[in-house]
Amino acid sequence: MRRDIVDTSLAIQAEGLTKRYGNTLAVDGLNLDIPTGQFFGLLGPNGSGKTSTIHMLSTLIRPSQGTARVAGHDVKHAGLQVRAAIGVVFQESALDRTLSVAENLRFAGLLHNLPIAQINERSSELLELFGLKEKRHQPVSELSGGQRRALDIARGVIHRPQILFLDEPTIGLDVPNRRNIWRFIERLRTELNVTVFLTTHYLEEAVDCDKVAFIKQGRIVKIGPPHDLIDSLGAYIIEIEGENLSALIASLSPRLGPCFMDGDKACFRFTGKDIASLVMLQAELGDKVTGMRWRRPNLNDVFLWVNETELWQTRKT
Amino acid sequence: MILRPVYAVIEREVLKLFRQRTRLLSAMVRPLIWLLVIGAGFDAMLGRSGNLSYQYFLVPGVLGMSMLFGAMLAALSTVYDKESGVMRMLVIAPFEHYWIVIAKTLSAALAAAIQALLVLVLLFLLGYLKNGVVLPLLIAGIVTTSLVCASMGMLIAAWTRTLDNFAVMMNLVIFPVFFLSGSLYPVQHLPSVLRFVATINPYTYGVDLLKHAILGIEATSFNADFSVPVNIAVLLGFTLLATVIACLRFSRDTAYEPLIHLLARKRSD
Ligand SMILES: Nc1ncnc2c1ncn2[C@@H]1O[C@H](COP(=O)(O)OP(=O)(O)O)[C@@H](O)[C@H]1O
Ligand SMILES: [Mg+2]
Repeated sequence: MRRDIVDTSLAIQAEGLTKRYGNTLAVDGLNLDIPTGQFFGLLGPNGSGKTSTIHMLSTLIRPSQGTARVAGHDVKHAGLQVRAAIGVVFQESALDRTLSVAENLRFAGLLHNLPIAQINERSSELLELFGLKEKRHQPVSELSGGQRRALDIARGVIHRPQILFLDEPTIGLDVPNRRNIWRFIERLRTELNVTVFLTTHYLEEAVDCDKVAFIKQGRIVKIGPPHDLIDSLGAYIIEIEGENLSALIASLSPRLGPCFMDGDKACFRFTGKDIASLVMLQAELGDKVTGMRWRRPNLNDVFLWVNETELWQTRKT
Repeated sequence: MILRPVYAVIEREVLKLFRQRTRLLSAMVRPLIWLLVIGAGFDAMLGRSGNLSYQYFLVPGVLGMSMLFGAMLAALSTVYDKESGVMRMLVIAPFEHYWIVIAKTLSAALAAAIQALLVLVLLFLLGYLKNGVVLPLLIAGIVTTSLVCASMGMLIAAWTRTLDNFAVMMNLVIFPVFFLSGSLYPVQHLPSVLRFVATINPYTYGVDLLKHAILGIEATSFNADFSVPVNIAVLLGFTLLATVIACLRFSRDTAYEPLIHLLARKRSD
């Protein structure tokens, strides 16, 4: 079924979006409806098709099949209009390392046809926002990894796009720098009121998104608001460590439901509310195991359990 | 609409040219070495001097050389842009991708012309530009030769994906283009095979136009080989043709896709 009516309240709309590289099916029939203003996260491990999706939506590669509209324009037939409406921060840097911070922003601004006065004004604002004001005249090669990523994001929004694509904005950064980048993204969202399409393979980082989709081998396997997805797993994840776990798992499964092996840990979902029963379970296991703990689930667990329920279901049928 | 992006590309190229002192310096020194070492050496051997000296015959050739190297290096920086990722900024901007080729061609030609002017000043100071340089022809020669070299460079850059091939390009393209161009010997005195190659080498016509401008019109064996209109027609015709081909190559989706692939996964490999 095809919808030919353009829904203007949707920033991004994809139907059956597919990308094939020879025999590799990188993106497999993606359907997306992302309303204007939403903070959307496409989450999945390396090689799951996130970058290919962004490249199709930003008109840099052609879909093998399916259609997509970005800012109301068809990515196949109105590439220029799409590119005028979007900003893209690529997984790898797009900066010129031999130019200074300000020169990079000037170059990007001119490429988007901004007048010099506007470029200067917005550069100062953005550098202020990202804490790079003092680095203005330094060459990019002298910036730290985190500063460089921040500048790359500033570069991607200098023309005030309606829709911002961020491909793994925190990849390769240490934890403090990742936090900074998330803070910058948050500031941008409130200042510019843009629709943000973000990808990351640090799944648990995407909790602040309005909506996330998990992608695996090019297919969306789960989609929804992060907190709903997390809550649907249950109240706690129970992790049990020890030797000869398989017998134990067999005896616990009737009570705790399916088990998922995360490395050498056996994980169960605990859907009850009552911590007392967890304490009892711990007492019961006693020294049969080397450790047992429980913790709140996160988005990483959502993805792990998608796999497990799939496996579990195929095992049953 | 497209003026600012084109200006952006040109501004960046000029900025880089003046920042890379060694590039500028070698652009000035290279022609002088040819002139002083090869030119003077031949003259000493053959015992010639003045307007009939070999050194004097080399002047248009070394001026052309500054443009050939200058434009080729600038055009091949497009390959460097692909490798370093700066090309991402260009391909995501809202204009047709063939403008990247046009802007890069213009900026490479400008870089070449700037280097030619510097060499020209040097030649003048050293007294190599004496009797009756024809200024309009010299300007036309510099503009068209810069353009032809830049579009040749872009033609190569459109097909080159990594800088690994860079040295190969230098040896396989720049040197043959230079040696088989009438820069070092009059085309009419070459053996027939080499004469044929020189005749289909567009750069030959740039050097020939510079000969008209610098060597003057007296009939000597060092005269230009073709007429001024032929030179200009070939130079502009080739520039146009090469630019159109490079644009087509660059805008084709299928041709472009491997580039994005390369950009996306360079460091993960
Ligand atoms: N140009 C290409 N040619 C061949 N295979 C590709 C190309 N681009 C991506 N792929 C493959 O498509 C799959 C998805 O890649 P990608 O979109 O980069 O995933 P992600 O960004 O989620 O890591 C991978 O298996 C990758 O190897
Ligand atoms: Mg990726």
